[in-house]
Amino acid sequence: MNLRLLYIVLLSPIASEIYGQPNCNAFLYTGDTLKYEACKISEGVKGHYQFSKAFQEILDDALLKDPSYDYAYREKSVAYLKSGDFLTWKKLMDQAVEVNPIENLGYRGWCRYQFFRDYKGAIEDIERLGALINGDIGTSANGDYHLEIARAICYKALGKKLKAIEIIETQFSEEDYFFGKYDYLHLGILYLEIGEYEKALGSLRIQEKENDLAENHFYLALVHKDLGNQSEYIDHLVKARELYVEGRMMSDPYTHPYDKVYLADIETELKTAYNK
Amino acid sequence: MLKFLPHIIILFLVACSTEKSTSSRQEYLRWVGDIEYTPEFDKPDFELCHGDSSVNQYFNFGQGLQYEGEKRAILEKFENEYRPVKSGESGLVRIRFIVNCKGETDRFRIIAMDNEYKEKEFDSRITNQLLHLTKQLNGWRILPNIQEARDYYQYLIFKIENGNIVEILP
Repeated sequence: MNLRLLYIVLLSPIASEIYGQPNCNAFLYTGDTLKYEACKISEGVKGHYQFSKAFQEILDDALLKDPSYDYAYREKSVAYLKSGDFLTWKKLMDQAVEVNPIENLGYRGWCRYQFFRDYKGAIEDIERLGALINGDIGTSANGDYHLEIARAICYKALGKKLKAIEIIETQFSEEDYFFGKYDYLHLGILYLEIGEYEKALGSLRIQEKENDLAENHFYLALVHKDLGNQSEYIDHLVKARELYVEGRMMSDPYTHPYDKVYLADIETELKTAYNK
Repeated sequence: MLKFLPHIIILFLVACSTEKSTSSRQEYLRWVGDIEYTPEFDKPDFELCHGDSSVNQYFNFGQGLQYEGEKRAILEKFENEYRPVKSGESGLVRIRFIVNCKGETDRFRIIAMDNEYKEKEFDSRITNQLLHLTKQLNGWRILPNIQEARDYYQYLIFKIENGNIVEILP
């Protein structure tokens, strides 16, 4: 393996999206020596690739020590998730959730949405988490979304657009809410889809200021198309294509983000615009 | 002794419940999901440029799914060529395979589940079509680039509702 490839692999998501190893000493403070021992065993995965035999076997050893050590189930599940093995992934994550629902429901729910587009299942997990804790339910595993926004997208995917809007607006009104990088884009698209054009323009313009993307201009173009503003319709499509070619579009190393558009979508729409 | 009986029973149940994970230890291959050559299914002339021990995953290169015409081209192929099957079946079908350093594909394997994540065997008119069309895809990009071409695992997941494809992942 040459140096460049090694660099790519080390910096790639396989290396960077490993969950933080728990602080084993914390289990000692709570008097859980079994979990402490399992935790110490699981520290052995450091330096091993999540997909590797060694990584899996070390976590199996940790689970032999303490079958209620949820961290090991969740870490074992990641390779199955990333290879699309929904059967094994779900079995492992169910075990993690069973022994520690508060720590694992949000993650399982997010993955059901992101990797398997299991909207109903994702909503169930996120809402169950919300019922178990007071306060903030946290963000997606990749940090791109607050779980409430992910829940809203799932409702939209099931056809409940007004509920999705309500969830997002409520989340936006939370004090100290830290906006996600696609939040206003999703809200703007929802407004567009229900014909609230002024609100759509407002949201998409905020998105433009915060994180300008090809998608943002694509949907701004669609708003102007519906409003009959032909020149703005074309201008935003041209801008969308420009940003896309520069690589400024929604992206995810594993799967496509919801509401993403492709270059062909922009070009097809441009042809429509020029023929109007 | 009786005092410890519940604990002994629990430990026994726990041991039984973890049997699968301990016994599965010996079944691990190099990496989770590795697909070994099987003469019954796989082309004998499909070559891996760097051998079975060096096949990457598609996301290892940080570029996501890479296909000529992007994922839109894959979506269009299935939209245009898949014929819905009136079987009323729903769930997910995953087809995983290897793209070699020349952009060629083989070692296709299928798993499927219902909407409750239970293993499922779909009507063969669905899976045969999905497999046939997936094998026809010939726009897989060489990763990470032509100069350093690697072999990599790729998968497609088809979300099926009542015999129709409603989404394709990743």
